[in-house]
Amino acid sequence: MPTIAQARSKGERAEAPVPEAQARPPRRRRQRSGAAYVFLSPWLIGASLLTVGPMLASLYLAFTDYDLFNTPRWVGLQNFERMFTQDDRYWNSVWVTLKFALVSVPLKLAAALGVALLLNKPRRGTGFYRSAFYAPSLLGASVSVALVWRSLFGSNGVVDDFLGIFGIHIGSMVDQPRYALLTVIALAIWQFGAPMVIFLAGLKQVPNELYEAAALDGAGPVRRFFSVTLPMITPVLLFNLVLEIIQAFQSFTGAFVIGSGRGGPSDSALLYTLYLYQRGFNNFEMGYASAMAWVLLVVIAIITVLLFRSSRKWVFYAGEGTR
Amino acid sequence: MTGRIPRPGRWSVLAAAAFTLAGTLTACSSSPDEVGSDAKQTIRFVWWGNEDRAAATEKVVKRFEKEHPNIKVQTEFSGYPAYVQKLTTQIAGGNAPDLLQLDRPTFGEYQQKRQLAELTPYVGKTLKTDGISDSLLAGGEADGKQFAMPAGLTTQLFVYDKDLYEKAGVTVPEDGWTWKQFATDMAKVQAESGRAGTTDFGWAIDWFESWLHQNGKQLYTSDRKLGFTEDDLEQYWSMLASMRQKKGVTAAEDTTKMDGSAQNSALVAKESGSEIAYDSSVTSYVSTYQGKLGYAPLPSDSKTESGMAALPPVYYGIAKTSSHKEAAALLLNFILNDSEAGKVLGTTRGTPPNSEVAASVCASATGADKETCDFQSKVKDRLSPSDTWLWPSGSSAVKTDFQRVYDDVIFGKSSASAGAAKVVENAKQSLGQ
Repeated sequence: MPTIAQARSKGERAEAPVPEAQARPPRRRRQRSGAAYVFLSPWLIGASLLTVGPMLASLYLAFTDYDLFNTPRWVGLQNFERMFTQDDRYWNSVWVTLKFALVSVPLKLAAALGVALLLNKPRRGTGFYRSAFYAPSLLGASVSVALVWRSLFGSNGVVDDFLGIFGIHIGSMVDQPRYALLTVIALAIWQFGAPMVIFLAGLKQVPNELYEAAALDGAGPVRRFFSVTLPMITPVLLFNLVLEIIQAFQSFTGAFVIGSGRGGPSDSALLYTLYLYQRGFNNFEMGYASAMAWVLLVVIAIITVLLFRSSRKWVFYAGEGTR
Repeated sequence: MTGRIPRPGRWSVLAAAAFTLAGTLTACSSSPDEVGSDAKQTIRFVWWGNEDRAAATEKVVKRFEKEHPNIKVQTEFSGYPAYVQKLTTQIAGGNAPDLLQLDRPTFGEYQQKRQLAELTPYVGKTLKTDGISDSLLAGGEADGKQFAMPAGLTTQLFVYDKDLYEKAGVTVPEDGWTWKQFATDMAKVQAESGRAGTTDFGWAIDWFESWLHQNGKQLYTSDRKLGFTEDDLEQYWSMLASMRQKKGVTAAEDTTKMDGSAQNSALVAKESGSEIAYDSSVTSYVSTYQGKLGYAPLPSDSKTESGMAALPPVYYGIAKTSSHKEAAALLLNFILNDSEAGKVLGTTRGTPPNSEVAASVCASATGADKETCDFQSKVKDRLSPSDTWLWPSGSSAVKTDFQRVYDDVIFGKSSASAGAAKVVENAKQSLGQ
């Protein structure tokens, strides 16, 4: 939001040697920024009341013992101490979430990119296919789809019957610790539509001249993909990667429904947020749950920062020229 | 957006805050508590259970509304786990329903957190208790005062597929199985039919409680402490391990989904030939099971202790914050004591608590209701009184933890003895011992 930043820092900027257009914003523009605030106000009020306020409250609760009924009691770092040193289930949920993120994110992005490449070629019915592949992203977060998933992979489900044709008998996958998380991962991968659409937009931006030049130099399709397409869409790849990793760490609904709300058989699909929810709403330990939420926030922030740092090494912005 | 589950975390806290606000507002605007006045009152009544219970309860509520045109009743029902979470959030947010269904763990929880209204002022006035036996009423007492009313009378039973057992050549012994005979027969059912003889019953602390009583112990002592040791639980789970080895009980993957509901029952899914249950579930078994069901007492090695008790399947309580307590008590009285209401409800919450109503319901009962009545009259003399079967605050967490650890045991992640030690350790923490 450059307009706001400019409006705020107008005073200092006037003296600074900056390009003329920015130093003296025309009058009309200034009036507009006032209007912008008016239009933004629902969002600003919403963000401060509905997000920042509760977040601060949860930060306070993270240092308390709070059972929802009695007033919170200050306990200092005790919640964090218990979490890190005494809670086996906590570390199990961390491990399950890591497995979930490390498997689902790369596979989901690969699927999204693969399908986007196919849909990028001009052919009949592309519009239909795009919508069709995007649909699961809209549906995937809903409880009803997770319930369908449960019956697909459950006992006497379609998947079990299908594997039976090949003589493989696994039984109910959702009720076995070895497979329960896999079904949750499969549900996540199936929703590759959103990153796919973003990849498609990125692919459209790759200049055709580059392909022509590469083809003239004798590069085949595989070479063209790795030497032209992939480097050119790295900014989009970074964007998708960051978004998907954050989403993976916050994933909840699928595991909640497929695991019958308990985190699957023997805690095998107990994602972090699910355990957080259990602590808060089954055990009435809101202080502990808030502490968990803040640890998650900090971890996600660290991972995001690391990703952005590493991006200097592998992300190519067309504007930078060669390096 | 009805299908979406609310995201946990800050949104929920916020929702709770919004509810508090709404709750205060409504509390301020509601009229004083007068049933006689013409002012229309709306009360909320919530419960959990299967479809059959919901249908019967809705019918009774309609009848009540017709008799009391100035009271409108809003009803809500859901499955058990969702019910407890929702109710707790509502109570904490100051938006508690007026009349609520409770069970032994939630009664202990809410009573000790001072969220239930004392019913003593209504007893004998709006709320008649003459027809309800003292031993049943005792289940809803705390510190010598009445905080909840028993919704009925239930006891543990063994429900099995009659035809399957007949084909397998297994008959229920005249005075019930001993555990050893039982194990042999369950393996036999599996060998003959391919279906496990019974659903692995190690997951529910309720059935362990029965076994403890048969061995002269209790799950919780009267001073709200743990009544069993690691060794007891290890012995119990080892007995099940050997049954599992001989395929007498269901495999781990069929056991893990058990939650007491008909939709997740291994018996209803025909993965097993029988199940241990409360007789208040007979109506839902009959309406969901394809086949002919028979009923038997629990296996027991003791001649005097059957492991079955006369328990209230669920209770009713009135929220402390309710501003329509009188109206809620009126509805409660109607549900408990009206003979017509009793007939409609049948045995969906066990047999009616009022003995006169129970007698008339059982006299004209058919189908599943009759099965429940017949079973109860058959085992009447073998039921132990409910006062040694009370669950304290914290028992709700113990119950969930018990099943979770048992999952680890049946999937081989933990031995029976390590699991038992874990349950005892966690239980002591939950009970504040």
